[in-house]
Amino acid sequence: MKKWFESLFRVWRREFYLVTHDEGVMLFFLFLPLIYPILYTLIYNKEMVEEVPFVVVDDSRTPKSRELVQMADATPEMQLVGYASDMAEARRCLNEKVCYGIMYIPSDYSQRLVEGEQAVVPFYYDMSLLMRYRTFMEALTDIQMAVGDSQRQALLNEVGELASGLSVSAINSQAFILGDVTQGFASFVIPGVLILIIQQSIILGVVMLCGTSRDRRRKNSRIDPLAIETSAEVIILGKSLCYVVIYIPLTLYMLHFVPLMFGLPHVGSVVDIMLFIVPFLFASAFLGQVLQVFVRERETSFLVVVFMSLIFLFLSGLTWPRYAMEFPWRQLSDIIPATWGVEGFVNINSNSATLSHVTTPYIILWILAGVYFVIASFLWRRK
Amino acid sequence: MGLHVVVEREIWRLASRPIYLFAMIIVPIGCALFFVSLLDEGLPIKVPTAVVDNDNSSLSRQVIRDLNASQLVDINHHFESYHEALEAVRSGVVFGFFILPNDFEKDAIAGRAPTITYYCNMAYFIPGTLTFKDFKTIAVSTIGSMAQVQLVSVGMTDEATGALIQPLAVQDHPKGNPWSNYSIYLCNSFAPGVLALMILLVTTFSICEEIKRATSVEWLKVANGSMVEALLGKMLPHTMIFSIVGVFMQSLFYSYNHYPMNGSMWVMILAMVMFVVACQAFALLVCCVLPNLRLALSVVSLLGVLSFSITGFSFPLENMYGAVGIFSYMIPVRYYFLIYIDQALNGISVYYSRYYFVALAIFPLVASTVLWRLKKACVNPIYLP
Repeated sequence: MKKWFESLFRVWRREFYLVTHDEGVMLFFLFLPLIYPILYTLIYNKEMVEEVPFVVVDDSRTPKSRELVQMADATPEMQLVGYASDMAEARRCLNEKVCYGIMYIPSDYSQRLVEGEQAVVPFYYDMSLLMRYRTFMEALTDIQMAVGDSQRQALLNEVGELASGLSVSAINSQAFILGDVTQGFASFVIPGVLILIIQQSIILGVVMLCGTSRDRRRKNSRIDPLAIETSAEVIILGKSLCYVVIYIPLTLYMLHFVPLMFGLPHVGSVVDIMLFIVPFLFASAFLGQVLQVFVRERETSFLVVVFMSLIFLFLSGLTWPRYAMEFPWRQLSDIIPATWGVEGFVNINSNSATLSHVTTPYIILWILAGVYFVIASFLWRRK
Repeated sequence: MGLHVVVEREIWRLASRPIYLFAMIIVPIGCALFFVSLLDEGLPIKVPTAVVDNDNSSLSRQVIRDLNASQLVDINHHFESYHEALEAVRSGVVFGFFILPNDFEKDAIAGRAPTITYYCNMAYFIPGTLTFKDFKTIAVSTIGSMAQVQLVSVGMTDEATGALIQPLAVQDHPKGNPWSNYSIYLCNSFAPGVLALMILLVTTFSICEEIKRATSVEWLKVANGSMVEALLGKMLPHTMIFSIVGVFMQSLFYSYNHYPMNGSMWVMILAMVMFVVACQAFALLVCCVLPNLRLALSVVSLLGVLSFSITGFSFPLENMYGAVGIFSYMIPVRYYFLIYIDQALNGISVYYSRYYFVALAIFPLVASTVLWRLKKACVNPIYLP
């Protein structure tokens, strides 16, 4: 038993030496986790899509239509850039990207409102980015409701005594936003992306180390002079322990200090986060040692691994939810550590879940770690 | 000796290593098929959500029936209390819930204005947004129909109250993507993005490997010592393959899957070829500045992955910090994306996209100014690991 620990420690120490003496691996083990979270957050850090420009074609030209335009312009979401004389001119503005929406107020707008009929105002959106569309929609829904309220109030005032005891609305409603309370874009995307950065940087670093070992073996008549002779299980475990030890402080930085630095949602307990992340780190390290079979030499690891980040992002359920995935994508997403890492971390970090709320992802991560460990050991023995 | 000899040499190199087949054809096409198939539904509707009915009256059941009938959410849980529902959100079982308060019906009829509340988990943006939209619609229509009942009870006619429920209706006219379909939008931005990433990686790999393996001397010799000829011969087969892959992607989107294609297909094909060349030129530029296989590959990987965010596919460029957004103009895929919006999605005149085509053409020109550095490295290949 003592010998077992000794060889485990020797593998661990050798791997530590290999990592720290390899600039390329250090780039992915240190630079990536340290710098990427900051770069990503800086890209999205303004959080909200605000002041999206729109133009108005006002065929009504009445105080009521001007009031509508002012209401829209006054919202944080929309910004009036000008009036167009007709739809053709407005479309030219849209084509030249001067604006991303056109509000058309028909000539009977004011009249219909006064007569108690429904006034219809068409709005033309540029659909190039859904974020802009969503922003316009939100503002317009609010305006629609505000105009509705004031119209109803005006009418109730006319009805007068008859309606005393009636309020504007017989029922109130109130919306509460959970998770990403400010509905900011960085607040939504960064927590998940952090998990993906951890997994991908581990995999890339591990695959590079394996590729380099293959290079050495090729040059040295099939023997890697820097490898340690012991059982496959000890080698895989010792190496992975080395990566996990390196990543624990990095994880604390990424999952605790980065959200604090940028004011992202961070309501969960740090202890829960760190406890949750341990099986995730192991699963990622073992997965890296499984994926290394696809890499014959160090440099091809980029060609094989980098594009996977996109696939893993989409499979993680962060952008496209898992309930809407179908066979075989749902099953594929099940076997990727980041999927469960994202689910657990986001729930702890943004929704103040505790470890007991995320037992499913937590247990699955340990199972994945076990399975990938067995596969990695098997692959090691075969070569 | 001549251009065709270099081309022949490169074709042999491509054919001799399976990694090229994998990186040039399997990955881009595989990813395009992946995106198309994963996002097949367009919108992830039927969001798992819950309802908490504290009233159990005919009115509250009516609201729940409305919720059940709505398209976007799937009310698949009924909880007894707010706490139970919140726990379900925390465990990721549901993405939101709708609460009907105690004495909801009684208070509504008596005019005591009870409050219905709803909760949406925006930590998952798309399901959260869909839940919010659906719950809000139901809340508004419940309020509206209740108000109508009251107005009728004080003696107004049905027609007069009808317009009062919604005196102003904003009519949606989404141009080009009328179903606000995520598939159309994500496939058209992320699939070319993956193609760009693979072009960057393969081009860098193929150029810098010559230096690493010290075959660059022979490469230059075959091209009569001309760097331009050597690069043209090397890049042309790549340009051909990547363009075919890109056009295949376009046919998959616009022809097979009927994504909006309101302009000329020829313009889009031209844009694709220019985009491929611009990406190659971008990688060439990196190779000229850093003629070292490992470093150059690391740099293009880091930039390539970052470009998915910085090009503003999802978050508009004008809402980023100016100092960050400016880097977006350095990325070829941004111009391809803008051309796609103008030409395929909106189908407007090519005149409006003119600058994007010019921008794509500038990349090779910029790269050509630093070729001397690459030549120096090729003539005297020293490999520093």
